[in-house]
Amino acid sequence: MVSESVLFGPGFWGPIIATAAMLLIAAVGGLILLGGRRLTKAKPSAEKLKTYACGEELEASDIHADSEQFFSPIRRVFRPFYRYIRPAHTGDLSTYLFWVVVGLIIILVSIALAIGVG
Amino acid sequence: MIPHAPILAIVLPLFAAFLMPVVGILARRRGIKRAREWFAIAAVLAELVIVMSMLPVVWGGQVLVYQLGGWSPPWGINLAIDGLNLLVAMIVSGISALVVIYSFVYMGRDHGLDQYYTLFLLILAGMMGVTLTGDIFNLYVFFEIMCISSYALVAFRRNWQSIEASIKYLIVGSLGTSFILLGIALLYGMVGSLNIAHLAQKLPLEPTSAIIVPLALFVTGFGIKIAMVPLHMWQPDAYQAAPSAVAALFSGATATVGIYAMVRVVYTLFGVFAIGIMLAALGLVTMVLGAFMALTQRDLKRLLAYSCISQIGYILLGLGLGTSLGIQGGLFHLFNNAIYKTMLFMIVGAIIYRVGTSNMDQLGGLWKNMPVTATLFGVGALAISGVPPFNGFASKWMIYVAGIEAGQAVFTIIALIMSALTLAYFLKAFNSIFLGQRPKHLSDVKETPLPMMFPIMLLAVLCIVFGVLPQLGIDIVRPAQEALMNSGGYIGAVLGGA
Repeated sequence: MVSESVLFGPGFWGPIIATAAMLLIAAVGGLILLGGRRLTKAKPSAEKLKTYACGEELEASDIHADSEQFFSPIRRVFRPFYRYIRPAHTGDLSTYLFWVVVGLIIILVSIALAIGVG
Repeated sequence: MIPHAPILAIVLPLFAAFLMPVVGILARRRGIKRAREWFAIAAVLAELVIVMSMLPVVWGGQVLVYQLGGWSPPWGINLAIDGLNLLVAMIVSGISALVVIYSFVYMGRDHGLDQYYTLFLLILAGMMGVTLTGDIFNLYVFFEIMCISSYALVAFRRNWQSIEASIKYLIVGSLGTSFILLGIALLYGMVGSLNIAHLAQKLPLEPTSAIIVPLALFVTGFGIKIAMVPLHMWQPDAYQAAPSAVAALFSGATATVGIYAMVRVVYTLFGVFAIGIMLAALGLVTMVLGAFMALTQRDLKRLLAYSCISQIGYILLGLGLGTSLGIQGGLFHLFNNAIYKTMLFMIVGAIIYRVGTSNMDQLGGLWKNMPVTATLFGVGALAISGVPPFNGFASKWMIYVAGIEAGQAVFTIIALIMSALTLAYFLKAFNSIFLGQRPKHLSDVKETPLPMMFPIMLLAVLCIVFGVLPQLGIDIVRPAQEALMNSGGYIGAVLGGA
């Protein structure tokens, strides 16, 4: 058996102990959840289940989070990156072929530099 | 070992592929239902048994050399199996077996299944040929068989989107295979041999400058197949348009074969560990771009395709570091990636099978309808994100440590950040599909059918087993790592002192 130090560097990682600890914590969390059950019985009515936003009544399908907006702050931070990268993914075959040629040149130059020509 | 196992592993799926149309015709005439499916499953399971029968010999430290027609190398064509290609053969046959079982129900609504299973077996024959051959021209021929079957499988449903994606893939892929053929021609012109071991023995005698162009052509050609940035653009289109079973096979098996071919050529044939740092750097770029592009996707299959690109980056990083820990980590990640990526594509297929779309904006609240599928997706998402105690954590951790040990701490930091980003986009996917409000039209959606669930569950179990017992996975990949780092053993075994 390869020692943990080879696998995980100078630190210690016991996957079985860690898994047991995670399961234990999950069990404790589950018990707390069970203990936190509401005491009064829920009495849902059609009126209570309606969703309101700014005075508007919305259908359930209307309040689904748009996946494009998910993590939009991250995308705003990396806007300069996306400004250059997204236009390259247009679906245009000519663009794909252009990047294949660029890739070949990059790889050719990198290999020449790595194995030291001249 | 089963007698003639190396050649049987290639010939069996090849013959089964050509028998498939006959099986289809006979089954229709005699009214036998599902004959094609059972025939394909039997062929692929037999393939798995053949591959597994080679394990004791190869893991015993022997390189299996099978001379075709009794002609000894370098004059004759040979199949040479060491720890590295046996690992890949195991992954390919294992994933193919699970995908063909999954296809039983998933592809049941499609027409033209004779062609589907013929192409499926043909791509398997191509992958096995690439993996097991010891001849570089044979490798090219089988690589072409694999690629041409892939183009046809992407276009299998013959709708506008799939045909467009297939044509793009065909053109870009053909350019890649042309590069490989040109590289082979240059090598043959230089050395006068096509045997990988013989080439590896003779190439160090050639001037360094002479190997730059063929090496670049090989790396670019195989780089297209594994979707290494900036050669990756065909992949999201192809994976989105292909049936999910095909995408699962591509992500788990063909990508693995592409990595194998690249590593075999770079490290064994050219023996240039010096360009490892270039592979690591390209891997890093691949990882970053794949992750950032995945974050913005609306379609789950497209998100997974970009995620595949990102994970290939991790593998390249590990393998490119060139240290024993890095290579071991890279190969372990290759193994793990095949497991969870196949599983995730199968889950997407299950969602499409039940709901009819993979557009995340049209999904939501499916936890109530598909709790088991949701749980399995959670397992796959956590595994791919490198969250303990799943398998992705163990292999990623090895790559991180290898980066620090190799003096490339910046690579490790970037890889860690990308892991967090992976978790972020999978949380988005999980939230969009399974949590939140459920649209009214999804209230009657049923759980994934059991025959489709079985391979997904098996892969989920593997994600947990190789996470909780990472040593098991490391023991599986160690013969591959040793073989890769000891190309002298491979050359000696094939040429036998020639």
